[in-house]
Amino acid sequence: MKAFSYATARSTDSARELAGSKGCYLAGGNDLLTLLKDYLVPAPEILVNIKSLPGMSQIQRGEKSWTIGALVTVAQIEHDDEIKKVFPGLHEAAAEIASQQIRNVATVGGNLAQHSRCWYFRHRDTVCLKKNGDLCYAREGENRYHSLFTGNTCISPVVSSLATTFAALDATAIVLRDGKETRMNMAELYHRAWENPLAHNSLNPGDLILRVEIPTARSRSTYIQVSDKHTFDWALVSCAAAAEVSDGKLKSPRVVLGSISPVPHQVETANQFLDGKTLDDSVASQAADMILKDAKPLEHNGYKIPMAHALIRRALLKLVA
Amino acid sequence: MKDSDKDGVFGAHSRRTFLKSLGTVAATAATAQVNSVAAELEKVNAEKIIGPEAVPVTLKINGQKIKLQLEPRVTLLDALRNYSSFTGPKEGCDRASCGACTVLLDDLPVYSCQKLAIEAQGKEITTVEGLAKSGKLSPVQQAFFEKDALMCGYCTPGFLMSVTALLKKNPHPTTDDVKHACAGNICRCGTHPRILAAALQAAGVAANGTTKTEVINA
Amino acid sequence: MPSWPTETKYIGAETKRIDAPQKLTGEARYSSDIQADGWLYGMILRSKWPSAKITSVNLDKAKQIPGIKAVVTVDDGERTVRYYGEEIAAVAGTSKQACLDALKAIEVKATPLPFVVREEEAIKSDSPKVFEGSSNSSDPRVRENGNVDKAFSECAAVIEGFYSTPVQIHNPMETHGSTASWTDEGVISWASTQGISSVRDSLAGALKLDHSKVRAICDFMGGGFGAKFNAGVEGVLAARLSKETKAPVRLMLTRFDQALAVGNRPSSFQKIKMGALADGTLHAFDAENFGTAGFAAGGATGGGGGGADIPMPYLYRVPNARSSQRVVAVNAGSARAFRAPGNPPASFGMESAMDDLAVKLGMDPLEFRLKNDPSEIRQREYKLGAEKFGWKEKYKKPGSSGGIVKTGIGCAGAAWPAGGASRRTQGEAQINPDGSIEFRLGVQDIGTGTKTVIAVVAAEMLGLKPEQITVRVGDTNYPPGPGSGGSTTCASISPTVYDICNKALDQLQTQSGIADARGANWFAACKKLGVTPLTVHGQWQPGLSSDHACGVQFAEVAVDTDTGFVSVKKIVAVHDCGLIIDKLTLESQINGGVIMGMGYALYEERVMDELSGVVLNPNFETYKLPGIADVPEIDVYLINMPERGVIGIGEPATVPTAGAIANAVANAIGVRVSSLPITPAKVLAALGKVPPPVTT
Repeated sequence: MKAFSYATARSTDSARELAGSKGCYLAGGNDLLTLLKDYLVPAPEILVNIKSLPGMSQIQRGEKSWTIGALVTVAQIEHDDEIKKVFPGLHEAAAEIASQQIRNVATVGGNLAQHSRCWYFRHRDTVCLKKNGDLCYAREGENRYHSLFTGNTCISPVVSSLATTFAALDATAIVLRDGKETRMNMAELYHRAWENPLAHNSLNPGDLILRVEIPTARSRSTYIQVSDKHTFDWALVSCAAAAEVSDGKLKSPRVVLGSISPVPHQVETANQFLDGKTLDDSVASQAADMILKDAKPLEHNGYKIPMAHALIRRALLKLVA
Repeated sequence: MKDSDKDGVFGAHSRRTFLKSLGTVAATAATAQVNSVAAELEKVNAEKIIGPEAVPVTLKINGQKIKLQLEPRVTLLDALRNYSSFTGPKEGCDRASCGACTVLLDDLPVYSCQKLAIEAQGKEITTVEGLAKSGKLSPVQQAFFEKDALMCGYCTPGFLMSVTALLKKNPHPTTDDVKHACAGNICRCGTHPRILAAALQAAGVAANGTTKTEVINA
Repeated sequence: MPSWPTETKYIGAETKRIDAPQKLTGEARYSSDIQADGWLYGMILRSKWPSAKITSVNLDKAKQIPGIKAVVTVDDGERTVRYYGEEIAAVAGTSKQACLDALKAIEVKATPLPFVVREEEAIKSDSPKVFEGSSNSSDPRVRENGNVDKAFSECAAVIEGFYSTPVQIHNPMETHGSTASWTDEGVISWASTQGISSVRDSLAGALKLDHSKVRAICDFMGGGFGAKFNAGVEGVLAARLSKETKAPVRLMLTRFDQALAVGNRPSSFQKIKMGALADGTLHAFDAENFGTAGFAAGGATGGGGGGADIPMPYLYRVPNARSSQRVVAVNAGSARAFRAPGNPPASFGMESAMDDLAVKLGMDPLEFRLKNDPSEIRQREYKLGAEKFGWKEKYKKPGSSGGIVKTGIGCAGAAWPAGGASRRTQGEAQINPDGSIEFRLGVQDIGTGTKTVIAVVAAEMLGLKPEQITVRVGDTNYPPGPGSGGSTTCASISPTVYDICNKALDQLQTQSGIADARGANWFAACKKLGVTPLTVHGQWQPGLSSDHACGVQFAEVAVDTDTGFVSVKKIVAVHDCGLIIDKLTLESQINGGVIMGMGYALYEERVMDELSGVVLNPNFETYKLPGIADVPEIDVYLINMPERGVIGIGEPATVPTAGAIANAVANAIGVRVSSLPITPAKVLAALGKVPPPVTT
């Protein structure tokens, strides 16, 4: 970790000003400090602590939608009894993130903005495509943890389980960009990573996630993941699903996969197919087929297809259970 | 002697050891003056750019205020272990993935390797050294002792902090609660079954799903 | 011949770890906690090339970094580095931050050379050579008895399998390293080590000092598992930096460093063909195995001098058996002893083959073992374990469990031929007139409970309580003891303490005139010493210890056939280690062995990148260790055999776990995952659910 200056911002304006073009925002710090310790990103001249920014640490509960401040911690989400009832999938996703030590400091904004976990990107001595090199090592190399879908040469997947869940809940991130608030749904928040290997998400330098707005329209939601280990392990594949259910039929369903694409993976035709359907194994299975139709397995990640298929079926059936 | 040594400020470039002899944990006594200076500094620091060179940092560790001179990039773990004498929290990975460095910040367990020391100002920091009161093991420590929930002991301070925090929040945890709370701590010797049993014993909860043993005599 | 008392109060009972309070309060000072007066921080710069000719190392800029007191190279002049992570230079400075900046400022010029990091590639004749002009592969070492080719034709059933195990990394929680202080009087090394004597000797050798000028101290250390016997490059660098800076230097490796350069368990690729007669008697065995022990397996030892061989056909006596083994050098850090070297991979391969053959014969795998295992002790352990585990009730034909989540059971056996004593072990005790007593032995407690064992034996022999015994170990100023390896410590120190106690009692009784100075008479006898403490020297005695521990384990697993996820539900571990000294710490060791074996079975693997030659997972995030939620119920059954004397347990406990789990997985899903670790990806592949890659 190279030396840097440090400041605590009291307003979003001063945060932007303090960070300037050569600074980084510091919230939970889980991702940032690892990136800096391993020299994976250009060394910032200043870290701007944004944890004291006003109004960003609250959960606001509305009838039509809830707003979760970007500085709300993952632990707060995990332990919020109302979230458990209104957005059970969000609770499940939060409870599975890393460990309690991390959840206690990790923020919603940091979870969404976190960088790739690709082990070539994370390695201090490989200069891969994502670090401005000219090669995606994972493509021909060790790609067991990598994407089945991508719009570019890099196959590093998005790993934010909150993003996967927010996508299923049709949530919107409100981002402060050049002094103005911009609304981005999860597809938009990650779209740039789909096409640009250097990007982890669509945020520009200086952009600040302020909060996430979640419509309450879907009363059923769930999140499940499979890892190599029981706990404290990254998802090999994760799946979030959300819908309203009436008379046993799904309404406005959303199924989203994580850890298999640089963006939360969602297939519109599958959502439409499920809309109005009464779920059974066969319907869930057909939806899973649609969602995984264009998957391009590499040498070591083909297992993610049957795994994702199973998770989609389970998540959907859990919605109506 | 450097200026920083004269006024008892311990820091990167002073290296003066606190220890009269190995095994004795000493700490600087806080004075009213130090406290008020720290409060002033915290105020002044707001919105003010400090560093990258070493700056005064005041940490409240196990109830005592300690004044250090640290670069902003110094982690809390580094400050505890290498700029002062709190070597109870261990460095196992320095990447927030083993839990040996776990301390409580205002009662919440966090990885001290992944917190900047400067961020921990104004918070109550509890390390493993702060668990036993007047020479008496805490109930969690006592249960670890009785159940032999440690071997080499290097991960133990971290597990103790995780379990202590859990029982404070949830005095009657289930087996799954203990597993959830300790998921972020790694042990290579393999003391997990005993840690589970110790946590449940400390909580006065009947243990099941833990190791069972029997000696068969010839 | 001396013998252990038959009626005991502490031996065989549960004595709480005597140094636990220090470890539980943070008071214990581990090697990495040493803060010697004026200490400096040390760090190592490592090769970022898997193979390269280093042409120059410029330290000038690094020396200019504020706070930096010394920068040294490992070797002067041109040299070749042969693996990613090989040591190039080291720095010492007033802070970690200064050292980090200095490492960045060292300029290394190098010409990269071709490299190979995969065993399967390295073994090919046209692959890049780890040592120029020398084959990567050793000549096969062949062992043969009987007539193997003819025997196969006589078999009722024959299986062929290919079983492989990865390189496993020790990953003790405390990394390797030490604080070194070099003064006019000599060098003191506070080392995180399993062998204070070997640290002293290796350091003296490397620094060209008399042994008497080097002292190694290790009061508390955070695990070793076989990787921490010598001072190592890092220990020597710490001493050199201390000499240069005239200050103590603490140089502990980072977790990253730990994965590259300080040891690992060799891989194995075992091709096994095995056959049995119709009655289930093993009859023919033919195996080829190769594995890598890293770069050091090549070149200097003429293309491989061992280090990756495993015992084959392991526990079993097959009348017609042939094995051929090779060690393959690759550009990676070299292997070191790792908890029961050779045995866990041997157990996994052979025990997998045993189950596969049992299935082919239509036999219950437990019956098949009882038919063929030559060890009477293991026979007894299998029978006992089967009953406790409920083998008969639980056993189903492979793959016959219903539902998506299938359950299965398996078992496997262990042997550990060592575990006996180091016969040169010595120690001393000082008995003070006030009745306090202090034992001093030049061994070290690596977390196994060595200090507690000393206290238990002493308390038993002297009629005192364990907490009345002061135990000092971990200092080369004490009488010499063995390194903590091969599960030998307990069998070395117990008879030594026995001897010290007997001699102490003799002298004390003579001097005090009290016929039996033990127990109630202890303080009265000590008081008669007047003002001069009594010091007694003792050494290991025969007849009180032996070797060769066995052990068997049973595993029950649940396998999700949709996701491939394996969950271990239960382990029953049945072990013997002769006379049990302290039940509490003994059971902890068995738990630990099982859990490490479970990591080997399901999670652990060093991943090398073929293209860049780096270790891809030098961390705890992708080098995965078992966590508390992964650990199953473990039931431990100890066969107490006091007549055998004391035997070590650390190693046998980790040997059979992976084989038992692998067999349980195969029993659950009806197909074998023949390569460790058994990940969800491999389970799904074995089930035929994984589509082939799409080439674009």
